Amino acid sequence: MAHLYPCESVSLRGFTFSDLPKATLQGKVYAMESNWAADHLQVIRTLMERSAVYRRALAPVMTYNGTLGVAAAALGCVLKISAPVSFVLFWAGIGVVALGGSYCLVRRQALKNSEPFWSPPTRRVTEAFLPPLVAGFIVAIAVFFHTRSAPQPPGGVMDLLWLPLAWVVLYGCALHAAGFFMPRGMKFFGWAFVLGGCALFGLGIPDWAPRPVCAHGIMGFFFGVLHLAYGLYLYFTEEGKNAA
Amino acid sequence: MNPEPYLQLDRVIHEKGRLAIMSMLAASPELSFTELRDALGMTDGNLTTHIRTLQETGYVSVSKSYQNRRPLTTCSLTPAGRKAFSGYVNLLEQIVRQNRPK
Repeated sequence: MAHLYPCESVSLRGFTFSDLPKATLQGKVYAMESNWAADHLQVIRTLMERSAVYRRALAPVMTYNGTLGVAAAALGCVLKISAPVSFVLFWAGIGVVALGGSYCLVRRQALKNSEPFWSPPTRRVTEAFLPPLVAGFIVAIAVFFHTRSAPQPPGGVMDLLWLPLAWVVLYGCALHAAGFFMPRGMKFFGWAFVLGGCALFGLGIPDWAPRPVCAHGIMGFFFGVLHLAYGLYLYFTEEGKNAA
Repeated sequence: MNPEPYLQLDRVIHEKGRLAIMSMLAASPELSFTELRDALGMTDGNLTTHIRTLQETGYVSVSKSYQNRRPLTTCSLTPAGRKAFSGYVNLLEQIVRQNRPK
């Protein structure tokens, strides 16, 4: 093994001490710089964390999903989608478009940088994302079939107030879980969904608000406005760091 | 003060740029050249030089392939590299412990 400090003589601030006992002098010199080893360990820790962090195309993905969310909410209001089955189908379709678009954006960046798409950080983030997303999907399927087969289907979307809010909270859980392998802000973003969803659960829906508009508004705010805001924030803060 | 741990530090790993490369690779099974370059903010030439040094020491293995008709260079730690990095970190921890005020 090669050694860093062979030290035939020891130099300190321009002075060379070749006559003193080597071990004694080295000990004193290194004791004066006792923090460098701790600093090195901190650098190693930071780099290892950064290595395992997923950063690919976050800003474009967030901006895309935000724009899509806002547009979908507006479309839902304009088309007056108020039946639970239609609501589930509409937003499930938007979810598929969002996933497909995100996949294309991430893949495009991977190709552009000559990187493997299915990199270890991508795999870890996907694995963290999946359980809450699958839970949301199963809940949507259950609602879809239950409301179709129920003898007296609920009258409107807001009879299923809990559904968009459950999606919001589950999505927040997914973001928070993935945040362990992504930049730190992602965890806070996840908390915003979880706490916002729970707060709306607690507050309920005001009587004056048109109920379908309110349901689409919840989806538009959380899946649209918040994504858009975070995407813009990333554009200004993470520019140039979009490598996986 | 026992100077022994200082003397055992691996000079190949101890250099700032190579330490950064080894740290990144220690946390991932493999990383592409571009991933390393972008994450560490190194120039192509600088990174190539350091990787070549680590490769010659037997700490890093480099594989070249093609993905979508584009060349892809990936780097990973060899077992010897992982062992050397682990030994290096252990020595640093030993030094920190040694210098901690009692």
